[in-house]
Amino acid sequence: MEERPGGLLAVKFTAMACPCEVLIHGSDPTRTMGLGVMAAQEAWRIEHKFSRYRDDSVVAWIHGHRGSKCTLDAETTALLDFARQCFEMSDGRFDITSGILRRAWKFDGSDRVPEVATVAALLPSIGFAKLQWDPPDLLLPEGMELDFGGIGKEYAVDCAYDILASYCNAPFLLNFGGDLRANCAPPQGPWRIGVERPDSDRTAAMLLDLESGALATSGDSHRFLMKDSVRYSHILDPRTGWPVVDAPRTVTVAASSCTEAGLLATLAMLQGAGARAFLEEQGARHWIL
Amino acid sequence: MQLKPAPSQLRRRLIAASCALLSTSAARSQETSAPGFVGRVLKDWQFESALAYYHEDGRIQAIEPVVNASHDYGDGGNVSLNFTFDALSGSSPNGALPSHAPQTFASPSAKSFASARHPFTTRPGNLPVDPSYSTARAAGGAEWTLPLTRLSRITLGGKLSIEDDFYSGTVNASFAHDFNDKNTTVTFGINDESDIIQPIGNTPVPLSNYAAFQKEGNKSKNGVGALLGLTQVMTRNWLTQLNVSVDRFSGYLNDPYKIASVLDAGGTTTGYIYENRPDTRTRKSVYFENRVGSEHASVDLSLRYMTDSWGIRSETAQVRTRWWTPDRQHYFEPTVRWYHQGSADFFMPWLPAVDQADTRYISADPRLANFHALTYGLKYGYELGNRLHRSSSEFTVRLEYYQQTLAINNRVPDGLQGLNLYPGLKAVLIQFGWSY
Repeated sequence: MEERPGGLLAVKFTAMACPCEVLIHGSDPTRTMGLGVMAAQEAWRIEHKFSRYRDDSVVAWIHGHRGSKCTLDAETTALLDFARQCFEMSDGRFDITSGILRRAWKFDGSDRVPEVATVAALLPSIGFAKLQWDPPDLLLPEGMELDFGGIGKEYAVDCAYDILASYCNAPFLLNFGGDLRANCAPPQGPWRIGVERPDSDRTAAMLLDLESGALATSGDSHRFLMKDSVRYSHILDPRTGWPVVDAPRTVTVAASSCTEAGLLATLAMLQGAGARAFLEEQGARHWIL
Repeated sequence: MQLKPAPSQLRRRLIAASCALLSTSAARSQETSAPGFVGRVLKDWQFESALAYYHEDGRIQAIEPVVNASHDYGDGGNVSLNFTFDALSGSSPNGALPSHAPQTFASPSAKSFASARHPFTTRPGNLPVDPSYSTARAAGGAEWTLPLTRLSRITLGGKLSIEDDFYSGTVNASFAHDFNDKNTTVTFGINDESDIIQPIGNTPVPLSNYAAFQKEGNKSKNGVGALLGLTQVMTRNWLTQLNVSVDRFSGYLNDPYKIASVLDAGGTTTGYIYENRPDTRTRKSVYFENRVGSEHASVDLSLRYMTDSWGIRSETAQVRTRWWTPDRQHYFEPTVRWYHQGSADFFMPWLPAVDQADTRYISADPRLANFHALTYGLKYGYELGNRLHRSSSEFTVRLEYYQQTLAINNRVPDGLQGLNLYPGLKAVLIQFGWSY
């Protein structure tokens, strides 16, 4: 726990491979620590449940039952159904079955762009519409994978927010690796949020003011390929298996929930050069770098 | 070719989908286990309790405690139980007009059950009211909602109400289905009510002379109703609702304690007769409500129009706003309600003696008269600071002032000039509530 200017106390932890912190206005360290632990436990619970790296997660269990019907719990059902709606409303651009494209694409700053045939071979195993999804029953066909990575962190912010909001009336801000949500501004003024410069020097490129609500950022600061002067962003279009052309480096969106902000940022990225126009059409506050 | 949704519609769908996802997670996190049975009941059930005191200027006063308990199963299923007890006492108008002469009546009120007739005298110029009116009511109800599919649910319920002289039972069932990513809900409901009326001192024969003591046995009535409702989420902050309902009551629909003055041409009271209302009543109503909210304020505007086979038409308009303090711990909720109704076809403030032989239906009950009423209310709510077990706890105080003005335009006979024939009604209500 750290003290910050303006009467704020910060609790820091790591979850979902990101630095996370909870900032609370107030002077009671015991209470702040208690609230911070609650937020961390919720983040860890969601990480544990939906991780694709653990063999005891719900995702691993679903992957272990490919080809047979699984009845999902209420939370997983809600998340999967949310993913279905995102798939439908984005005309297939947002797809939680697209994770297997990682087998072809390794975004390590190198020039290893995959063969066209390698990518094409993966496409038959991608597409939410190929799932047999009759909530709460799911049949995951052979060869397919689910990856909640695109919504898990934002969802965790909102879940932790709900828990904190029910215990704490004091102004607080949750920051899980750049996805944020605040209940209200501290007395001395709005929360100041620094968004990192896309080039990897880790300095804040701009400062945003947030009173309440959520901010989410989608970007490819450190994850891209460079070949023949073409920068391949890590934003892949699941319909082609290839990176979106001319996607912005960083898109930050404000909305009332982190889940909504995150989806808007991701959908904007998937529009490539049309990201700004897309966000303007949605009437969402946004910052593009 | 499939048309792509307009972008703003995409945002609306995304907001609705996010809300659906996060509300599931909120319900889920309330399910986490708690030790001990009492802790579990207190945590899993939401309790609301209220104590109201109602006072009419110079007439009835009532005390009403209410307890409501509800439990969500987390899968969209829900059960709720409620219990109410009313104790009413005071003075109730019996329907007769004020007069320049003293008037003496026999009260059939519950308090005087043993004697069944408890005489009282009304002074000249005063509205005749039974001063020993007293009754108690106990009522309980249960409702059970169970999800049928992800998008539809059915609700079954029942109510039972017992008074000294009145027993009522109601069963209801409704079906609701969500469309359009849960932005639209259509509800269809039906209900059936059966009542038994056992007036204190037996049921008076309709239209009989008050002094003749002609009595009959117990009576009953039955009502069936149906409701069709549409709820639409217009934007994230705007909800609109439209309900259409129809119901039909048949059987004994009189108020057994209401009489009407019989006046001669000069306005002198020659006697009183018991009222008689038609034995069926069909009501149709339309209700339209809009709720707009932001983080610190909300506005709720509702309109209702009702028409029935007795010739009554009524309109209600209500504006309710709620303002939260910046920390959302306190809120203030001012309400203004305007109500107007036209009189029933058979409402007569008195019966001219010359018409007595030809009259089939008559009531002088001011509740069937042409009147308008204004209600001003203010509610204050305080959310208790330490919200243990994740269930919110709230304390409320509500104050309401009700003012009814009768608008009866019958020509006043000479013998009644100078009297305040139709005093309106003023009432206050104070209610303390606690939910946890």
